[in-house]
Amino acid sequence: MQKIPYEKPVINRINAGVPDKFGMKSRIQPITQIDDVTVRDLVQQYGSPLYVLSEKTIRNTYKKAVDAFKTRYPKVQFAWSYKTNYLNAVCQVFHQEGSWAEVVSGFEYEKAIANGVPGEKIIFNGPDKTRKDLTVAIDNGSLIHIDHLDEFYEIASIVKNSDKKAKVAIRINLDAGIYPQWFRFGFNFENGEAWNAINKIMQTPGFELQGLHTHIGTYIISPQAYGIATTKLAQLTVRIHHKYNHHIQYIDMGGGFASKNTLKGAYLPGTDTCPGFDDYAEHITEALHNSDIPYDHMPTLFLETGRALIDDAGFLLGSVIANKRLPDGRKALIIDIGINLLFTSFWYEHNIVPAQHTQLDMENTTIYGPLCMNIDIIREAINFPVMEKGEHVVINRIGAYNMTQWLQFINYRPKVVMIDTKGNTHIVREEETSETMNQLDRVPEHLKSVNNDH
Amino acid sequence: MNQIIINIRENRVHFWDSILNSYSQIFFSTHKSFAILIMLVSFIDIYTGLMGALAVITTSLAAFSLNLNKPTIAKGLFGFNGLLVGLGLGIYYTLSWHLVFIIILSAIFTLLVSVSLQGVIGKYHLPYLSVPFLLGMWTFTIAAKHFEALGISERGIYYMNELYVVGGHSLVKVYEFFNQAEIPSIIKSYFISLSAILFQYNVLSGFIIAVGLLLFSRIAFVLSILGFSIAFGFYNMIDANITMIEYSYIGFNYILTSIAIGGFFLIPSARSFISVVLLVPLVAILSISLSTIFYYYHLAIYSLPFNAVVLLFLYVLKFRMTYSEKLTEVYFQYNSPEKNLYTFVNNKQRYKHLDYIPLKLPFMGKWTVSQGHDGDYTHQNQWRHAWDFVITNIEGKQFRGEGNYVEDYYCFNKPITAPADGTIEEVVNYVDDNIIGNINLEHNWGNTIIIKHDDETYSKLSHLKKDSIKVKKGDNVSTGQILAKCGNSGRSPYPHLHFQVQATPYIGSGTLLMPFSNYMVGEGENASLKSLQVPQHGETIANSETNHLLASAFNFIPGQTLEFETINNNKKIDLVWNVKINSINLTYLECRKTKAKAYFDCKGDLFYFTHFEGKKNNLLHDFFIGCFKVQKCFYPDYILKDYIPLHQIFPRKILWLHDFTSPFIQWATSSFRVNYSSSNDLLNPTEIELNSSYQNYIFKKKINQTNYSIKIDTLGIKKFSIMSGEQLRVIIRKENHEA
Repeated sequence: MQKIPYEKPVINRINAGVPDKFGMKSRIQPITQIDDVTVRDLVQQYGSPLYVLSEKTIRNTYKKAVDAFKTRYPKVQFAWSYKTNYLNAVCQVFHQEGSWAEVVSGFEYEKAIANGVPGEKIIFNGPDKTRKDLTVAIDNGSLIHIDHLDEFYEIASIVKNSDKKAKVAIRINLDAGIYPQWFRFGFNFENGEAWNAINKIMQTPGFELQGLHTHIGTYIISPQAYGIATTKLAQLTVRIHHKYNHHIQYIDMGGGFASKNTLKGAYLPGTDTCPGFDDYAEHITEALHNSDIPYDHMPTLFLETGRALIDDAGFLLGSVIANKRLPDGRKALIIDIGINLLFTSFWYEHNIVPAQHTQLDMENTTIYGPLCMNIDIIREAINFPVMEKGEHVVINRIGAYNMTQWLQFINYRPKVVMIDTKGNTHIVREEETSETMNQLDRVPEHLKSVNNDH
Repeated sequence: MNQIIINIRENRVHFWDSILNSYSQIFFSTHKSFAILIMLVSFIDIYTGLMGALAVITTSLAAFSLNLNKPTIAKGLFGFNGLLVGLGLGIYYTLSWHLVFIIILSAIFTLLVSVSLQGVIGKYHLPYLSVPFLLGMWTFTIAAKHFEALGISERGIYYMNELYVVGGHSLVKVYEFFNQAEIPSIIKSYFISLSAILFQYNVLSGFIIAVGLLLFSRIAFVLSILGFSIAFGFYNMIDANITMIEYSYIGFNYILTSIAIGGFFLIPSARSFISVVLLVPLVAILSISLSTIFYYYHLAIYSLPFNAVVLLFLYVLKFRMTYSEKLTEVYFQYNSPEKNLYTFVNNKQRYKHLDYIPLKLPFMGKWTVSQGHDGDYTHQNQWRHAWDFVITNIEGKQFRGEGNYVEDYYCFNKPITAPADGTIEEVVNYVDDNIIGNINLEHNWGNTIIIKHDDETYSKLSHLKKDSIKVKKGDNVSTGQILAKCGNSGRSPYPHLHFQVQATPYIGSGTLLMPFSNYMVGEGENASLKSLQVPQHGETIANSETNHLLASAFNFIPGQTLEFETINNNKKIDLVWNVKINSINLTYLECRKTKAKAYFDCKGDLFYFTHFEGKKNNLLHDFFIGCFKVQKCFYPDYILKDYIPLHQIFPRKILWLHDFTSPFIQWATSSFRVNYSSSNDLLNPTEIELNSSYQNYIFKKKINQTNYSIKIDTLGIKKFSIMSGEQLRVIIRKENHEA
């Protein structure tokens, strides 16, 4: 018998809802304004498509997160995960709020320094740190999170000839009871690799082991997993204290908190299922309080939350390019936002709504981007009202990763605008132009002329 | 006997102190130069002087061999009565072995009376003044009438002969110059009155004593003149003549009363001066009436009116129903009106709440005071010193969403911690949490924990979440330990924490005013560190974080030795400071060489010096000023301010002028500040530098400043530098090379 090809199972909630005597009541609430600035004005002034960031939302979300943790545990420090969104303006808002910087490359490190972050307030993560990066980081007193033994040897050889000590932590991967288990980063807890690495660091001159770091995954919707992970790091902390009488200064629980976006294939929308900061905080701090770490030496709790802090503050505004009826009868809408601008549409069912009041009639619609690529699909199927060419749409919760993972592909990347806490708008990144695009191009002399007359 | 000698050797310093101070104590002083001047004056009549000295030495020896309290002996508190008796008897009777014997006996008797009086009225915190002298003097003069062997001295009559023996022609000339000097009679009789304290009757002695008095204390000097002038005026009013011998001979009563009430037993102030104005005429009346009675018994009244009035007044003051800042008794006697005053002024600035226990906020993170002291709702009357705490978001709202459920409230289910070390006294853990808006008047306080911190201090945490309490009665808890979760039980319409300090261990007890030791107010750049203050309604507050490096550097443990070295004139000098604790639990640093003492206290996160004993040119005094107050939390660029008592560092010449007006107006200030300059690591600093300084101001205009820098590492204080103008002095910790 021939093997039946595997098909990924997907369960989709029927959005239709239960009809009452007035019929179906699924209706889309348009987003007409962001922080009291109308979408129409924004598009008119800055063009379409357009990224919009709300400074107020960033600050509010940050404070909410800090309070959730600090009211449960006194020593808490957030470090802004640069890769989530490293627009300078965004980083500065976080730094103003008291956040340190968490970087994963020499490039991000340079960015943080340029943003005025003191070296000692930078956490250097990631598997790829060059010798040059490490030398600078050690010199600046940054916290280096060691990912693998080769990195350890590299640091050892740098500090050997230096009077500076390397302030380090190690990245630990562990079984927190969730799937998938991320074991490609750092040292494994269960098989003793992490303990082995700790012993190496503790016994090598030139190292100062300040912290333990883990990052159990991304978009974790089970806060209990953080509790388990924290307990395991606390166990290591106590073990280090017992063996070396050395106090670990901080435990870094990384990031991975879910935002309210809905993952593809999820049965219920993210707004209903994703835990809030309080849930994560409760499990992490409870685990610390219940640990055997001596009270006088409770470590500082570091958090590198990215997505959950910035996602809500980002909006992507676009316009309808065309309406289409596909041969299979489905309705299609082409908008000027493509996957090049909305990278996260590969894994999220993004919430997309009109920017103005529309008719009540809705139809199952596929929303395509403007790219001349078959995969450029924003939503496969969504109940959407009829919209005219030139009308605007808003995609909310796009603050995380889109402004770093975006692709310059086929089109120029548009402007990014930030609405400050007083409702004024500022361009925080200009759109690309042909000049930007050609700036780095180099054409050999013999290719400069179109006329092939040699 | 041998034992006594050994004791004396051991206590040689104490012994000499006791001798000198016995002289100056006549004017409540322990001022050395003043003592020497009084001693000189007493020797104007050399035999009388010797008898006085004999009495003092006898008293001291007797007191030491009876093993009485050494500091009290050293302060001269037992000796001065003996001295007065010795001088009194010495001047009346001719020198003979009989007299020597009588004086030794009288000194012992006076000592017995002094100690007994201390036991009897000392417990009411009353001084025995010169009552022992009066009893001793009367006893021996009455008895001496029956001692045929004692001859009445004629020296008092043939003064010049004696003077000639002591100082030759020139002294006689000086003596006569003063006595014949053309000075107003009031001034003359003022000097004579002063001299009469030492049973003399001349201007020169009085003048020397007046100079000594001025050296000792400007306030006392002014008071002596004030007291005498009032008496002078009063006598004029009743048409009596104070310059007459019988009145002048007791004129010192007014002077001593004035000093005692105006500046010594009370803090010098306008009110204390007014008291003097009213009491001196009373002393005058008493002098006249008592003299009349005592005349029948052929006894002099000596200082009886002074003793009577001062003791009466001091006793009556103790019955005041409220404490008054304007007329305050001296609780710790520095034996100087100026020091008492400046310390008092400084204490008011420094220790608003004297007997506090170091309280931390009983929660984690930022909370907001929703009802403070004397609140609008329930914090009234005997429960006025309480706080309600909630958590609010940026818009000031306490809940998310509609706030219809307790879970919507940010503070609900948040950990509540122990504000200070203590023992759990009471736990209630059965009251259900209310639905929002409901209140439970039957169990008003809801689920509650009461912690005992000391016998008179309890703290109460109320409205806790049902079944969230993790401790039980009798448990010991330490600061910051999680006790329970915030809830909504009892009279609580919405979740909040009620916190109060009380003097009794019951649920429902009235509140006690108690500050929190250290906390942060405000957010971001506007955040400021407060110490020993009361959080106000609407303030958003959080606990401050203790810095381990600072905490261990300023954790001086009795028995510990601090060793430093410094270079002076190219010579290496070793400094050894011992950390000690005395019988009344005061901790201090003592310089091994000079025995100078810098007293300190440490409560919670605050380390501060309280007072200093010894010479000010000691480096320990610089350390005392440089680390006058240190906060054990490190917040970069944080500045901690304080005030230093004027007599510690203010330039002496200007301070002299200031002394005269100080009871009424204070125009000089000495302020202290310490700047938290730098630390080498944010999480785990191994080196911290603090920069402190003091500034002296006249009418808010700065006149001088000295800077200090304190470097701290993992082993404690590493380096202490003093920068005064161009001068730099550095003290470095002596490294133990053997280790």
